[in-house]
Amino acid sequence: MNIRFKITASLLAAIRADLRRQHAFAHERVGFISAGLAAAHDDLIILAREYRPVRDEDYLPDPGVGAMISAEAIRGARQWAMNDRVAVFHVHTHGGRGVPGFSGVDIRENARFVPNFVSVAPHAVHGAVVLSDTAAFGQVWLNRKSPQPFITRFAEVGMPIRNWRAA
Amino acid sequence: MTRLDRQSFLGADSDAILDAATIGIVGLGGGGSHFAQQAAHMGIGGYVNADPDIIEDTNTNRLIGGTLADVAVSMPKVTIAERLIRGLRPKARIISVQADWRDAADDLKRCDVIIGAVDGFQEREQLERFVRRHLIPYIDIGMDVHELGKKGFLVSGQVILSMPGAPCMRCCGFITDERLEQEAKRYGAAGSRPQVVWSNGVLASTAMGLLTQVLTPWYPNPPKFVFLDYDGNKGTMTRNARMELLRDHVCPHHPADETGDPMFDIRKQAFRPRLTAAPEPALRWWQQIWNRIFGRAGTAK
Repeated sequence: MNIRFKITASLLAAIRADLRRQHAFAHERVGFISAGLAAAHDDLIILAREYRPVRDEDYLPDPGVGAMISAEAIRGARQWAMNDRVAVFHVHTHGGRGVPGFSGVDIRENARFVPNFVSVAPHAVHGAVVLSDTAAFGQVWLNRKSPQPFITRFAEVGMPIRNWRAA
Repeated sequence: MTRLDRQSFLGADSDAILDAATIGIVGLGGGGSHFAQQAAHMGIGGYVNADPDIIEDTNTNRLIGGTLADVAVSMPKVTIAERLIRGLRPKARIISVQADWRDAADDLKRCDVIIGAVDGFQEREQLERFVRRHLIPYIDIGMDVHELGKKGFLVSGQVILSMPGAPCMRCCGFITDERLEQEAKRYGAAGSRPQVVWSNGVLASTAMGLLTQVLTPWYPNPPKFVFLDYDGNKGTMTRNARMELLRDHVCPHHPADETGDPMFDIRKQAFRPRLTAAPEPALRWWQQIWNRIFGRAGTAK
């Protein structure tokens, strides 16, 4: 299976701008992207719809990580996946240029909370995406049991279209 | 020195970008065949060509690449397009679907850009709904000839670039309920619409410029929404006034929450690789006999 992630350039720019905002104590910001899904032969196509930032008051003080968010914030995103029947992707940025990668903390935390999205909205896939200033990288949970593949290709749909292979 | 050296102003990576791109061409008649030829000249690497029709005698006034010999063997239009493209891009990735574009939906979903050269507003509306759902930029071309009584005829047409999130063909008033209704009333009426090669060429060339802007623009910040009016009598291609009016308009007809397949369920989805070639539609018994008697090639690809 090839996994493609498509997002309009305007939505991606809005996400980057939001994630760049300073927080009172958290080192970085995070948010969630909802997406529709389509299949084409052996391609799974993830089509980004909307971005919702995590509210300022939902960050918890934790000097050990870039950002720790409350259970309430995660619960709200899960509710979104369930009510709107959408795929939901956690998103944050590492800045810089080129295709980024998950940190050790990202890998650990993704494995802890993304499966809970699969539990409440099993009709969709869910996952996590990390951005740089020029590209993105991501991983997808298809269900609770099978391995979690990486997103193969990203497409930023704007003028011009930008495609990059991420895995 | 390469074949594409003279278009190096499109950017240092333009050859690779064009080669990696896959475009869908829906309708390989007068407009689509022009477009296929130009895309091959430009170095586009991937094609999904969809058209159910074979070439007929009356197509030869405008179908680029079509010959009288093709008419004699009832050559499918997609086969003619594939031959045309391979003459310039022998290793092009071509999927030829001699069927309605909806039968090529999975192939079209994977395209970077789709070009519609179809007849009718209903067809256009459905195609635009499909591309918006899958975040695919769409370029529409079409021409018409209007009778002006004693003043002769007006040759006209349009080229529209419809990008996800930007104004659509309904936003700009090109597709309206009234037009759809009128078209539905005319459905099945006898007679064919006038078409000529030169105006199709102008429209397809303009559309090729828009495709190039979407893939590898040669100047900064090209417009995301383009609506150009062609007047074949005046010999002009002008910006429709709505292009300016709708510059910052957000399309209400195709909201973001409609992306994706509405009934998608990952638990029921079988992901299978595509067969290397599109399956050939089976000939009916009378078509087989007809072809045997008159030596026609049928739907051979």
